[in-house]
Amino acid sequence: MKAPPSPSPSPLKIPTTPHGPAPSEVPSAKDRLVIDGVSKAFGRGKDRVAVLENATLSIERGQFVSVIGPSGCGKTTMLRIVAGLLDVDKGEVSIFGEGVTRAIEAKHIGFVPQSPALLPWRSVLDNVRLPLQLNKRANEWDDRAAMDPVEVLTAFGLGHVLRRRPSELSGGMQQRVAIARAFVSDPPILLMDEPFAAVDELTRESLRYELLSIWQSNMKTVIFVTHSIPEAIALSDAVVVMSANPGRIQQIVQVPLPRPRGDLLETTAEFHELEDQVRFAIRAGRSHP
Amino acid sequence: MRDLSLSESLAESEVTAVARPLPGADVETGGKPERSALRTVLGWSRPSIWLPCLVLVGLLAGGWQLYAVHNPYVIPKIQQIFSSLGDRPGFYVTNALTTLQEAMVGAVAGMGTAFVLAVVMSFVRVIERAVLPVAVVLNVTPIIAVAPALVVAFGFGETPKYIITAVLVFFPFLINSLIGLRSVDPLALDVFKTLHASRMEILWRLRLPSSLPFLCAAARICMPLSLVGAVVAEFVAAGKENGLGTLIVTAASLANLPVIYASVVVLAIMGISLFLLVVLVQSRVLAWHSSQTVKDR
Ligand SMILES: Nc1ncnc2c1ncn2[C@@H]1O[C@H](COP(=O)(O)OP(=O)(O)O)[C@@H](O)[C@H]1O
Ligand SMILES: [Mg+2]
Repeated sequence: MKAPPSPSPSPLKIPTTPHGPAPSEVPSAKDRLVIDGVSKAFGRGKDRVAVLENATLSIERGQFVSVIGPSGCGKTTMLRIVAGLLDVDKGEVSIFGEGVTRAIEAKHIGFVPQSPALLPWRSVLDNVRLPLQLNKRANEWDDRAAMDPVEVLTAFGLGHVLRRRPSELSGGMQQRVAIARAFVSDPPILLMDEPFAAVDELTRESLRYELLSIWQSNMKTVIFVTHSIPEAIALSDAVVVMSANPGRIQQIVQVPLPRPRGDLLETTAEFHELEDQVRFAIRAGRSHP
Repeated sequence: MRDLSLSESLAESEVTAVARPLPGADVETGGKPERSALRTVLGWSRPSIWLPCLVLVGLLAGGWQLYAVHNPYVIPKIQQIFSSLGDRPGFYVTNALTTLQEAMVGAVAGMGTAFVLAVVMSFVRVIERAVLPVAVVLNVTPIIAVAPALVVAFGFGETPKYIITAVLVFFPFLINSLIGLRSVDPLALDVFKTLHASRMEILWRLRLPSSLPFLCAAARICMPLSLVGAVVAEFVAAGKENGLGTLIVTAASLANLPVIYASVVVLAIMGISLFLLVVLVQSRVLAWHSSQTVKDR
């Protein structure tokens, strides 16, 4: 396994926020998730489309990073590459000093896809049990404590629907189940692809703070794709703004807001200032591709 | 792919609204959807459901009877058919059991082989590429035409009957199984892959359950179809064994119309029973599927 690159060019490096993990010296490769110069194209010959171009990003252990950008800019593609579902054309991804394959084998990644993708024949509880039942070898590999599925579901406010089938739940509840499923095997990394996209705005806001409080209690490293600027800011230590055609990382906006955060945060001046910053970055990405 | 059967169209009509669970009615118990079989039966108690069908059946029977009275050598009167049945019920049951046994052995063999092959094909791409086009062509070929050749090859015993039935159900079941095993939610597959699930785990915990609706649809076609296979096999290899097909051929040579149609009635009852059996099994196995439940969203 190749060591990840030395501290990358400063604009793309996310410094430790005052509220992130241990504010020690420069974190070693073992404590970073690094996406290094990754490019990806689909199709061949004339149909070849560059979807991701030279994406570089370094995330420290325990950080919550949001990715925002116009549709089709390659957010899902980037997430699927980190999740080991797609190969890169160029570049490298290293997860805490290991390759993606290794992280997958060890069940180190919790993946929340764009739609809940629950198994309709299983109850809510059995859906959440799934990660514990698959690839059992990895269950004993490291000292992380797989959680009790009932406890996880209760934490997400689903303790009363354990025996229901997914089709009997609302969209917001299904999404909660999908997130609970990703949490249950206690993976150090969570990848979430617009998990709240299909949920109505009110549910979406409450899900946001539910996720925040659960994340604050166990500090996983998170890459969270979203379309919502306030959502990105409320949740994250840094917001990665992408531009399209081809997908590039346009800018990284740091979010130095104190934690723990609550929903009053969204009314503060700092919050609005950060919103504008992200908005301008998105606009800048649109004007000169 | 999905043919809308009688009971299904019933289950999907307004009838379902009757037994539909109220949204959020009960947290612990009321959340379970009712079985569609139960719902269908409930629906049958409403005249608006069964009356139109009953009227049509009555009209058809009347027309039949009218024609039969004037053309006794074309079709028998209805009472002749039923008195033939009533006179010798044991005789028809014996023959029906023979045919049923041939049909079921053939159906189980054909569907089982088709399913195993489909699983192998879904694992090994090369085999799929080789077999699938052949299967598609054979599926639209009237394969029943090989029946006489199979009798030549295997004689007049039970073997050619099993083989003909098995061959007849094989291709529809194979193709449905293949489509079913492939019809997996791609995002659910992503979740499995990020957990490094083995191919066996993906097969057992994802592909197989996903394919169940397709297997049930195929079984609804194949089970009644197996009767066709058994009867045609008996037509071709009539003589030694009993069985409804043999009985029909013999009766036809004696111009005994009531026996022919009595056998057809028995076959119809068998076909309907097999179909309903599949629907019953399906309502248990597929209780989770959207064809069995009414969504409240
Ligand atoms: N498997 C694929 N084959 C071909 N093109 C793809 C594939 N996946 C994604 N794309 C294309 O790549 C682009 C980026 O897709 P995606 O990463 O899903 O964007 P986003 O998630 O940011 O909306 C889109 O134009 C999409 O059509
Ligand atoms: Mg996307």
